[in-house]
Amino acid sequence: MNTFKTERFRDKQLGFVMYLIGEAIMFATLFATYFIYTPTAINPIPKEVFEARTVIISSVFLLTSSATIHYGEKAVEKGNHKGIWIGLLTTFLLSVGFIGMEAHEFQTYYKEGFTLTQNLFLSSFYILVGLHASHVLFGMGWMLVLAYQKNRIPFMNYAQKQNIFSYYWHFVDVVWIFIITLVYGPYLFY
Amino acid sequence: MTFYLFDRSFYIASDVLLAYITVILSGAAIFYLITKADKWPTIKKYVTTTHHRKIGVLYLLSATLFFIRAGIEALIIRVQLAVPENDWWVFQGDKFNEAFTTHGTIMIFFVAMPLLIGLMNVAVPLQIGARDMAFPYMNAVSFWLFLAGAILVNMSFFMTASPNAGWTAYAPLSISTYTPEAGNDYYVFGLQVSGIGTILAAINMIVTIVRHRAPGMKLTRMPLFPWSTLITSFLILIAFPVLTIALYILMFDRMFGTQFFTGEAGSPIYWQHLFWIFGHPEVYIIILPAFGIFSDIISTFSKKRVFGYTSMVIAITIIGLLGFMVWVHHMFTVGLGPLVNTVFAITTMLIAVPTGIKIFNWLFTMRKGLIQLTTPMLFSLGFIPTFVVGGVTGVMLSVAAADMQYHDSYFVVAHFHYTMIGGTVLGAFAGIYYWFPKMFGIKLKETLGKWHFWLFVIGFHITFFPMHLAGLNGMPRRVYTYLPKDDVFIYNFVSTIGAFLMGLGTLAFIWNIYQSFKNPDYTGNDPWDGRTLEWAVPSPAPEHPFQPMPLVKTIDPLWEAKRNRGGKLPEAESARSAPIDVTSWQPIGLAGMMMVFSLAFIYHQTWLQIIAGIGVLSFFVIRNLTDEHVRVAREEENE
Repeated sequence: MNTFKTERFRDKQLGFVMYLIGEAIMFATLFATYFIYTPTAINPIPKEVFEARTVIISSVFLLTSSATIHYGEKAVEKGNHKGIWIGLLTTFLLSVGFIGMEAHEFQTYYKEGFTLTQNLFLSSFYILVGLHASHVLFGMGWMLVLAYQKNRIPFMNYAQKQNIFSYYWHFVDVVWIFIITLVYGPYLFY
Repeated sequence: MTFYLFDRSFYIASDVLLAYITVILSGAAIFYLITKADKWPTIKKYVTTTHHRKIGVLYLLSATLFFIRAGIEALIIRVQLAVPENDWWVFQGDKFNEAFTTHGTIMIFFVAMPLLIGLMNVAVPLQIGARDMAFPYMNAVSFWLFLAGAILVNMSFFMTASPNAGWTAYAPLSISTYTPEAGNDYYVFGLQVSGIGTILAAINMIVTIVRHRAPGMKLTRMPLFPWSTLITSFLILIAFPVLTIALYILMFDRMFGTQFFTGEAGSPIYWQHLFWIFGHPEVYIIILPAFGIFSDIISTFSKKRVFGYTSMVIAITIIGLLGFMVWVHHMFTVGLGPLVNTVFAITTMLIAVPTGIKIFNWLFTMRKGLIQLTTPMLFSLGFIPTFVVGGVTGVMLSVAAADMQYHDSYFVVAHFHYTMIGGTVLGAFAGIYYWFPKMFGIKLKETLGKWHFWLFVIGFHITFFPMHLAGLNGMPRRVYTYLPKDDVFIYNFVSTIGAFLMGLGTLAFIWNIYQSFKNPDYTGNDPWDGRTLEWAVPSPAPEHPFQPMPLVKTIDPLWEAKRNRGGKLPEAESARSAPIDVTSWQPIGLAGMMMVFSLAFIYHQTWLQIIAGIGVLSFFVIRNLTDEHVRVAREEENE
């Protein structure tokens, strides 16, 4: 157990955590932008735009995927190859569900005329949630590469790569939790 | 200038035309000289390298080139301002705006930053006993991304679209309504791309310093340059992401029709906040490493351990922390209210305390020391009084009530040049002279170095001291001319003379580099009788230093070894595995692709955005599939 945690790999872990700190500050700045410009004097206000159903469904998808990637992590530590595949596949499918819901949500808003340039609430909403969605998309591409490499590289390397990926995925999930509570929450659940 | 070709007329500004001719001719000359000297293999080695010393040299080399470019701009600005109502060449009105914008942008992001990051790359791993940076491949990516961004900002001039909204790119001027040309798009993308490189460089530094120190080198035994590098890297890690997002939002405003910084609901003040939340830590990012360099140099050439080591470390840390709490002092005249202004005035004044502690520590390091006036030491000695002047004017500016008078005047220009040139540039020169033997195995010529120092420093004071007076007499910054009755002619005229002296000093530096390579003075491992670990390895520093790995028992291990052990460092029993060095074309390829991607956005070519975007993403996949860790693991399996 834990044989893949070499000195060099611990460098990588620390480096990636540092990277995520940088990312966290980027998202924090975007949250600040959202708070400053929401709600605005120009319509629409958030209450007219947000729709609880899509937010809840997409949250279920993404938050569950944190559990499945954690399952994949445990499988790596036990050397359970079947479990790794299950973890990776379920995480990927859940992320497809999330991105599907997100695309549906943005499309609906656009159809209703709630576009990027409509007002500053929508602008700051789109650039924050859009950046998060692009992180999810990037993670999906990353999972495809992981799946491709799974049986082609030494298991130790694969284990390290998946470990770093799960850091990333958990981070993306945490950002989503902040989005639910700070972006949608105040206007949906009160 | 208009000319005719195939019955059509073409217009090109004469300054741009001259720049094209200069670049093409010098490019051809350089190409010819490289081919003649058969140096293409060397260039290939540097382009594909991931070794920290070579990457450091690349940073320093490109910084020097950009220093010349932005320096020429400074001379142009000074010539234009030499006499009242000057109508020299084309540099009035918007051309002047472009000149001071790119001068500032390039000097901060593409001169000061790479000079210091370059010196960090060369010296820090060796000073702490690391065998390379923690992530050699990422180190190369950092450099090439920096260079791609720098080239983007520099090429804007050739596309007759220089950024023109000042290096701070204040909204709403920087919004497409007021500056629809591509200029400020170059600014946005150039800084964005190089900023990513800088963040990666900071991560690399942090991991290297935290995890790759030689056995026994506790943080409390680390030399002060690595210490300041560590603190600086954390500042970069926290401040640069704010710039990233500020530019991201500005990009949406300029290209996708949002109105964050303008219009009815948008707020230009928000840009100022974002910019200075990044921008003020940024000035500490470019001064703290210089402090570290001076500490090491003054200690080496006073033959004494640095005075007050602990207080030095604490002072750097406090400056770093306070650096995040002072950004509003750039915005005293915005009207945020007396309470806000007072709070930020006080935090600003507080910074003078740790800085003062450092100044006294340097002085006490020299007290009763055996002082050697080598060129690096001269630069350090020149720094102390110069920086004190800059610091004192800084405290003057921090008085919010008085700042209403100083704001946007030449007094401010004088102040920040005293800190940035007096601190960062002198520090970088000192560091280059000091570590040159570690980079190339040769010393720079001492005599020419002294010419360089005296011309540059005297020229510096002649240029910038009168600016205080011009400012106090009411001359605003960023104006391209003034009237005889404004009574600032004499200050400006003297400044211009000084600027040319600084130019001469820089020429002496370049001549010095040329001469030093032509008639090299080969030096041994330890030309300065140094104290720290970098002087224990061969010059130039080898690809795999520290075999065997030394065991560190004191702050200045080499000095201690020379005094007590006949120069032999105690050996550590075991050392951790070294980072894996590779040679790869991928970093430069990725940076080139980022440049194409940026240009596709600047010129609104959707198809190219998609292609280049896929190109950029494909580098992630390629990198993953050609990972050297996998290769090494396979080799180990086969053994």
